[in-house]
Amino acid sequence: MTASEVFRESQARVVTKSAVRLAQVHKKYSMGSGEVHALRGIDLEIARGEYVSVMGPSGSGKSTLLEILGCLSRPSEGRYWLHGVAVDEVDADGLAKLRGEAIGFVFQAFNLLPRLTLLENVALPLLYRGVPRRTRHERALGALARVSLEHRAAHRPGEVSGGERQRAAIARALVNRPSLLLADEPTGNLDSAHGLEILALLEGIHADGATVLIVTHDASIGARPPRRIAIRDGEIESDASSAT
Amino acid sequence: MSVLESLREALRLLLAQPLRSFLTLFGLVWGTAALIFLLSWGEGLQTMLDTAFQRAGKNLVQTWPGRISEDYSPAVDRRWLWYTPEDVAALRARVRESDLVGAEARTHAPAAFRGRALSVEVRGVEPESQAIRDVPLASGRLISREDVEHRRRVLVLGQRARERLLGAEGRLGSWVRLDGTPFQVVGVLDRVGTQLSRDGAEIDDQLWVPLSVHLALWPNPWIDEQMLSTIFARAKDRKRIAEAKRELRWVLADRLGVPFDDEEAVPIFSPVEMLDRLPLDQQNGLYLLIALTTLLVGGIGILAMMLDSVQERRAEIGARLALGARRRDVLLQFLWEGVAIGVLGGALGVLFGAGGALLLGSQVFRSGISQAQRDLVPVPELSLAIVLVAVLAMAGLAVVAGLVPAWRAARIDPAETLRVE
Repeated sequence: MTASEVFRESQARVVTKSAVRLAQVHKKYSMGSGEVHALRGIDLEIARGEYVSVMGPSGSGKSTLLEILGCLSRPSEGRYWLHGVAVDEVDADGLAKLRGEAIGFVFQAFNLLPRLTLLENVALPLLYRGVPRRTRHERALGALARVSLEHRAAHRPGEVSGGERQRAAIARALVNRPSLLLADEPTGNLDSAHGLEILALLEGIHADGATVLIVTHDASIGARPPRRIAIRDGEIESDASSAT
Repeated sequence: MSVLESLREALRLLLAQPLRSFLTLFGLVWGTAALIFLLSWGEGLQTMLDTAFQRAGKNLVQTWPGRISEDYSPAVDRRWLWYTPEDVAALRARVRESDLVGAEARTHAPAAFRGRALSVEVRGVEPESQAIRDVPLASGRLISREDVEHRRRVLVLGQRARERLLGAEGRLGSWVRLDGTPFQVVGVLDRVGTQLSRDGAEIDDQLWVPLSVHLALWPNPWIDEQMLSTIFARAKDRKRIAEAKRELRWVLADRLGVPFDDEEAVPIFSPVEMLDRLPLDQQNGLYLLIALTTLLVGGIGILAMMLDSVQERRAEIGARLALGARRRDVLLQFLWEGVAIGVLGGALGVLFGAGGALLLGSQVFRSGISQAQRDLVPVPELSLAIVLVAVLAMAGLAVVAGLVPAWRAARIDPAETLRVE
C-alpha cells in the first residue's frame, strides 16, 4: 500500500470507532544467541478520544508496545490496525506518512534536535509533509503558543529548561494535529512541578478530542487517566476503566 | 527536505566541530588543488618541450649525408655520400607529404667587425629553408631569391650573434668580414630561444648568407660537386611524420643508388619523433595518479567525518524518522551533506590550485633567472577542461564518500535509537 493510499484509507475510516486495535501481537528480539519475547499475544482496543495509561516495571514490554503503536517497529506476529488501516499491509513510506500525519510522539528524553531552534524543531514534522516554509513557521508558532513557548521560538534546546524542552516536544507532537498522541515517560526527566504542568497539557490535548496514551512506570501518573492498562512480562496484567 | 535545507544542515555540521571540519576540508582542498596544479603543470611541460624541440622548425624532418652501412658494402668500400642541389630539386618535384623542402650548407668561419673578431657558424640558406625555420625578423629582411641567384654578399644575423659581433655600434647596412670577405648586414633575426633539438649552433648564434655564396666561398676541397650539409622538409601533418620520412628516404636512396632500408646511408631525423618518444604521457599519468590519490585521501576524510556524524546523530535520525521522515529523506540529507562538504572543499581547492598555477606562471617566479633558463621552465597551463576534471572528480568522490554514511543513516532503526535505557 503506498503512502497516498494509506492516507486516503485513513481519511475514509475516520468513522471507525477504534483508534488502535491489536490482535495477538507478539514481538521478539534476537539478542546475541538468545531471543527476547517482549510482547506475548497482546489484544487491545483503544477507542477514539480515549485517555489511557500503560504502566509496568522496567522490561515489562510497555516501550515495545508504544513502538508498535507508533509504527516505529512492526509486530513479529499478530495484527495491528491504526484507525482501521492494517499496518502490516503498509510499506515503509506509508509507515513514515502515518507517523508524520496520524501520530504525535513525546519522548522521555525530549529528542529535540540540538542544532535547531525550538521553532525549527516544532516545524520538522511539517517539513517532511512538504508544507511550504511560511505555513510551516506559522503553524509551528501556533503550536508553541499552545504550550506557552512562543517567546522561546528562536532559542535552541540547550538554552531552555527541561520543562520547556518537553513543552516544545509536545508542541512538535501537536503541530500536525495528530489523532493519536503517544507519550513515553513524558515526565521522566522532569521535577514534579514541571511534570504536573506537562500532564495538564496532555490532558488538555485529550480534552480537545485526541486519543492520548501515556506510558509510565510511575503509579501516581499512571493513575490519572480514566483507563489504566498494566503490563508485565509482555502480557496485559490488568485493564481497568473508571468513570471520568 | 529540500536541497537548500540539507546544505544548511551541512554547514551547521561543519561549524559544529571546526577543527574536525578544517582537517577534513584540508584534505579535500589539498587534493583538488594538487589535481589542478599537477595537470596544468603537465600541460605546461608538454608545451614547453614542444616549443623547445620545434624551435628549429615546425614538423621538421631533416637528413645529413651518411655512409653505406656494413650490411650492404665491404668495409673498404664504405664510402661517404653527399647531397647536392639536384637532390633538393628532385625532392621538391617528388614529395607529397611535405610542403617545403630546403637545404643548408654549414661552416665555421672567423667573423670580424670593427676590430671585434669571433669564430661563428655560417649557414648558407635559401628562401625555402628560411621558411621552414620560420624565425621572425627583429629588423631588416631575410635572404631573398635574388640574393641567392645573384650571389649577393649579404648577411642575416641571429640575435645573440648580433649582440656579440656588432655590439651597440653595428646596424643594418654595416659591413662584416667573413673569412676576409665583406658581407653587408641586411637583417637581424628575432630571439629564437633554447633549442632542445639542433643540428649545430643555436639559431641565435648563427650567421646566414645566401646558399650560392656559401657553396662558392666554402667548397668541399675533396669533391667536384656542390655539397650540401643538410636537407630538410616540413611535413604537412604532424601525425604523418613517419610517412614524410619514408618518402624522403625513398627519393634520396633512389638518387644515391643505395638500398631503401639502409638507414645509415640516408639518416633521417625528426625532433617531433624524438619528443614523442619522451614518456610524457606516462608522466602525466603519474601526475594524475598522485593527484587522484591525494584526492582519495580527502574523500576518506569525508567518509570518516560523515560516519562519525551518523554515529553521533543516531538519536536525531531516530527522531526524524519518528516525525515522518522517510528513509529516502534521511539518505538524501546525508548524501547532500557529503556533497556540500565536497563542493566547499572542491571550490576552495580550485581557487588554491588555479591560484598556484597562475602564480607560478607569472613573472614573479621568472625574475632572477636567465632567459635561456626561462625557456625551459614550464608555465602551468590552466584550462577549463582541467578545472572541470577536478570539479567532476571532486563531486563524484563526495557522492561516493557520502553514500556509505547516508546508507547507514537510512538503515537506522528508529525504535532502537529512541529507547531510553
